Amino acid sequence: MRRFHFFRVRSCATVACTLGFLCCSLLWPQYSGGADAGTPQVQLDAKKAAPRAVENLTERGIVRDYRVAWNNMALALELNSVAPLDGPFTGEAKTSLWQSVISQQRSGLSRRYADQTHELEAVFYAPEGDAIELHDTADYQLQILDNGKVVQEEHVVAHYVVLMTPSSDRWLVRYLQAVPQF
Amino acid sequence: MSWLTSTVWAGTSMRRSLLISGARFSAISAASAIFLAACLGQICWAQSITVPSSAVAGEPLTITTTGSGKATFYLLGQGVSNKHEISLGEPIKLRGDALRNAGDYHVIVCSDTCHSATFYVSAGKPASLTFLVHPSRVPVSQQDAVSGVAFPFDQFHNLVLTPETINFQLPAGNGSLFNRSVPTQAGVAWFRTSSGKSAGALQVVAALDDFNARRVVQQVASDPCNLRLTGQRNAQGILVQTEPVHDCSGNPVPDGTIVSFTATAAGGKSTVDAPIKKGIARAEIEESGPVVISGASGVVLGNELRVGGKP
Repeated sequence: MRRFHFFRVRSCATVACTLGFLCCSLLWPQYSGGADAGTPQVQLDAKKAAPRAVENLTERGIVRDYRVAWNNMALALELNSVAPLDGPFTGEAKTSLWQSVISQQRSGLSRRYADQTHELEAVFYAPEGDAIELHDTADYQLQILDNGKVVQEEHVVAHYVVLMTPSSDRWLVRYLQAVPQF
Repeated sequence: MSWLTSTVWAGTSMRRSLLISGARFSAISAASAIFLAACLGQICWAQSITVPSSAVAGEPLTITTTGSGKATFYLLGQGVSNKHEISLGEPIKLRGDALRNAGDYHVIVCSDTCHSATFYVSAGKPASLTFLVHPSRVPVSQQDAVSGVAFPFDQFHNLVLTPETINFQLPAGNGSLFNRSVPTQAGVAWFRTSSGKSAGALQVVAALDDFNARRVVQQVASDPCNLRLTGQRNAQGILVQTEPVHDCSGNPVPDGTIVSFTATAAGGKSTVDAPIKKGIARAEIEESGPVVISGASGVVLGNELRVGGKP
């Protein structure tokens, strides 16, 4: 009897694991497909940065962290979760994105960004290197969803004014504002 | 697009059925007229959205739609995501508190189909300055040692991108060490200048219209300008000390600055480090024979002091 019970428990566990694996297998491609589509391409032109020149390592760090910022922002606005905002954002950028997510949670809306490319130009780099202002010409597909149903899909070319400041180990987006043109 | 397709298909079907009935020309004409009228009527009543060409953060605005019947209105912007029912043809009034963040706002109106428009909200008048000044502590008389960066923000903390003139001042005593008006470019203005000649707190002010931001830079004496050593033999050895140590502008060098005393005797060299206390550095050197003592602090060397052997 005990043996039968052991086998029954083990078979239930096996079935549960198999089902779990199947669910993950079915869901994962969709999720990873979304994440791939959302991985932003970022390029930075720092030739015109003044009054301080941008070093190569700094340039790479900014590109890396700006990519992470948009990736996380897209995740936050698609999944309506504030957790992805915790790493790459600070100050006003974090506050307004936080408000966006909370507002979306209330209204049942979400935004999906795909095929992002960002062409950054450094327009100001502070004398002591404690702030950098960037102009971002962003190109992406934007879907607006109401409770999961797409109500609007468009190809967007947008311009953003960005302020980034360094923290101990990365650059943080402190300010992100869309403008009609530079 | 789907509405247009379905209407065109309905029109074609109508023409086919009339052709079969035999009343060819007049029927087609009549059908075309009805079809055109129907299309025109539908187009007139399909919704379109008119958004303002410009808007200012925190100020209310009105969006107009055409058409009739109920529709769903969506507003998505930075910090905003609203959805509610509207009646087409009636103005949609947005309160100022829904438009506090500068940036782009997407408006979507959906009935049978969805139509969208985008408008931009710009920052209002400057209401505060974010002012970064470096360094917090600086030696006096250093070239281009003090720098500051100012960003004007409106009352809702939006970066003001329209050009504004910021006045940077470094008041010193009755006069001013530095005074310059700098217009912002892309929402930022900056300056760089040399530090003053006197040790102490240096106010750094950025002013825009009626408000300003103040920071304090502590100016400290620079490196010692010269060292003068005096010494005398006592029971334990030789007591050597500096005269009060100043930088080249006459400011006393801060306590804790290290002065290294080096004694060269027949037996070799020995070095003692001593911090400046109350402007003077002191050290005791245990040497009974004749000795030459020198002192150094930073890149400055003091005079050589020759002390004879113990009698």
